Amino acid sequence: MIAPAKPPLALLGQFGDAFDFIFNEQIGRFSGGEPVGGPEQVLDLAATQLELTGLAMALALAVALPIGLWLGHRGKGELLAVAIGNSGRALPELAIIAFMAAAIGVGLLNLTIALAILAVPPILTNTYVAVRQVDRGAVEAAQGMGMSAVGVIGRVELPLAVPTIMSGVRTSTTNVVATATIAPLAGVLTLGDFIINRNVYGDDGVLAGAICVAILALALELLLSVVQHLLTPRGLRAVAAEAA
Amino acid sequence: MRGNGQTAAAVHYDHVTKVYPGRSAPAVDDLDLEVPAGEICVFVGPSGCGKTTAMRMVNRTVEITEGDIRVGDVSVRDRRPAELRRQVGYVIQQIGLFPHRSVADNIATVPRLLGWEAERTRARISELLELIGLDPEFADRFPAQLSGGQQQRVGVARALAADPPVMLMDEPFGAVDPINRERLQNEFLRLQAELRKTILFVTHDIDEALKMGDRIAVMKAGGHLAQYATPAELLMAPSDPFVEDFVGADRALKRLALMRVRDIDLWKAPLAYVGQPIAEVRAKLDGAEVPYPLLVDSGRRPLGWLSERDLTGDLVPGRPHTSPDPVLDLDDVMRDALSDLLQTETQYAPVTDAKGQIAGVLSVEIISEFLTSADAATEEHGAPERPHG
Amino acid sequence: MADPVPIAQVVIHQRSGEGCIQEDRVFCPGWAIDNIDRYVDPTLQHVVLVAASVGLGFAIAFGLALLSHRRRWLVPPLIGFTGALYTIPSLAFFFLLLPITGRGRDTAIIALTAYTLQIIYRNIVAGLANVPGDIKEAGRGMGLTERQLLWRVELPLATPEIVAGLRIATVSTVALATLAVFAGGGGLGSEIIAGSNITFKTGIVIAGSIAILMAFAFDAFLFLAQRVLTPWRRAVQA
Repeated sequence: MIAPAKPPLALLGQFGDAFDFIFNEQIGRFSGGEPVGGPEQVLDLAATQLELTGLAMALALAVALPIGLWLGHRGKGELLAVAIGNSGRALPELAIIAFMAAAIGVGLLNLTIALAILAVPPILTNTYVAVRQVDRGAVEAAQGMGMSAVGVIGRVELPLAVPTIMSGVRTSTTNVVATATIAPLAGVLTLGDFIINRNVYGDDGVLAGAICVAILALALELLLSVVQHLLTPRGLRAVAAEAA
Repeated sequence: MRGNGQTAAAVHYDHVTKVYPGRSAPAVDDLDLEVPAGEICVFVGPSGCGKTTAMRMVNRTVEITEGDIRVGDVSVRDRRPAELRRQVGYVIQQIGLFPHRSVADNIATVPRLLGWEAERTRARISELLELIGLDPEFADRFPAQLSGGQQQRVGVARALAADPPVMLMDEPFGAVDPINRERLQNEFLRLQAELRKTILFVTHDIDEALKMGDRIAVMKAGGHLAQYATPAELLMAPSDPFVEDFVGADRALKRLALMRVRDIDLWKAPLAYVGQPIAEVRAKLDGAEVPYPLLVDSGRRPLGWLSERDLTGDLVPGRPHTSPDPVLDLDDVMRDALSDLLQTETQYAPVTDAKGQIAGVLSVEIISEFLTSADAATEEHGAPERPHG
Repeated sequence: MADPVPIAQVVIHQRSGEGCIQEDRVFCPGWAIDNIDRYVDPTLQHVVLVAASVGLGFAIAFGLALLSHRRRWLVPPLIGFTGALYTIPSLAFFFLLLPITGRGRDTAIIALTAYTLQIIYRNIVAGLANVPGDIKEAGRGMGLTERQLLWRVELPLATPEIVAGLRIATVSTVALATLAVFAGGGGLGSEIIAGSNITFKTGIVIAGSIAILMAFAFDAFLFLAQRVLTPWRRAVQA
């Protein structure tokens, strides 16, 4: 049911209170006198979220990138690469986090591994597809010139595959950031804590949390699009901009 | 032909110019010509000469900047483009069949746009399939299941479906291999002999233009019309060095492609019958145009050439020393006849009529004499009828 | 009842599975069979959430695609806008909407719809762009109006790519709709976070498995639908 539209001023008031929560530490009405909110806590939780995201992505890249590059280079395992990509999307993050919390145990390490598993499919699939789509002529020319397999991958296939790979990385990161938001369920406190624990932070905290998470996610996405632009070989930039 | 019952319409280009926005040089510059109803006009020229642009202004896939084009008596500007195009058949090089529709549905596109009843459309589809030589079972197949040549033919059928008075064809046989191209050209000419539509045809290949066109419009860079003439006129009297160059240095040989053996005065060889006294044959040899007797049977059909050795004895032997090959036909295209002569390295070839009876003898000499005095010969005969098939 | 005899990790002969539950093993089939009823409602809610979100998302994305079909300059900003909606984590989205739409299923649907827009929009646009130029030229040259060309030629030919986008959107939405419980929208998430008891492993496993199976079921259905809609692609090459 949609609640009756609130008068704009009231809405403004609510968002105003939320911003107040972000910038000013205040005594929580429900937290039993403990101070909540304020820039320090916000940045602290944000930092944790970024840390979690960064570690998970690094792990996922370390695993998925080499495998994707190798499979793509050899042209084998297409069914596997695509199937993993498709199945990865079907995994409900909430179930995974909850299961982690219940079965394997809480903590940064366990959560990082869980998030990395979630992050692998888009990177793997996109890397494979990207390498397959590299101009065969360029690859054959390089091989004909005597480049080793590693050289071909590193100097020809990878640079030309960057746009599509980065697109997969960005998708992955979006998913990981979103899942990291519910990490508090598994004991790692991120900005999602404001949202999930309403009884501690109050309605203002919940809204504040939502705003912060949104800003964090958008900022990260913006950053990655800049990174993608910088990593794309100059000759490809016009084409890649259209494709991305 | 059944269908819409429309007769072909003439197409008039009235000082037509096309300038693309942002460019200073025109793509088509003051084109003025008339294509008589029922004829094929081929626009030919190097790339960028504006030939395709000129054709596409007729169905307004390119808009006219200045001037006007009339189909029949109606200006193309008087109707909405979509309506106009439903009255003009359109065939492009890549064909562009709808892959998601069956052959029958593809052909039925324009009739359905025009609101034909289902029964009439169905009848027209079977009629056209027969016309282009495809079995009725092809009607429900999809384009992906057809060979390239079959797709091409469906493309032509699709353009003919609503029996339009005018057809535009943009390098329709360009994407096909040379062998199939020749077949398609011949089939199309056969179709045209029956349908007699007004056709505007674009090609970059001068040989195709000479073969297909009743009239040819040679265009040069900048959209200028260099010459508008029949194939024979074009070959014999190119209007300027550009046309001469474009037609090719082998103009003389190209002329031969336009003629048949019957168009030329043939030499006579002395005829010899089996069992005839040799003395009679020798008598005929005196002063004959061809210095060898030709052995023929009772029905005057060539059996072979008689050499000196054959002429020893009293009577003409039944088996000649030299075979009569190549035996040519009056209806053979002159260029093919010359090719046969050169290939078999014979000097003289007997020419027979439809019944197989000897009509004369052709030699390389006759052909070269003809070519050098061609102007005189053509004025006598008039423009030679183009060979088909 | 006799004491349960464990076989590997699964106890199989206790119907109510009490011991299994008490020990909080990963999966207790006994309990699952007995309590399967409680999953019916959440599953149905989940299906409604997904169908409504993807349906609405498709309708909006289709409208945007039609709008930008003849106005290419609209594409980059629309991709950017739908991209932002995609990037914002759904949980945050729920609570940003909260002051405006309140708690409940509709809030969840709005957020889930927003998430699907980019992939569906992008795929419709790409599908239309990939229609070969000569087919469009032939169509126009024969006298099809732009609208007729779009609906009779371009859209049918773009179907595979459009459905591919729908499949991705649907599978993702099934997984994401587990979060709808936070917005008060029900769904299978309510069985994963049953109250504040998130240590009930069997419950999590069952709910999660249903979600995964549902995702595959939707995917298969859409895949078959695409095959039905595009009979010409099954035709054998000559």
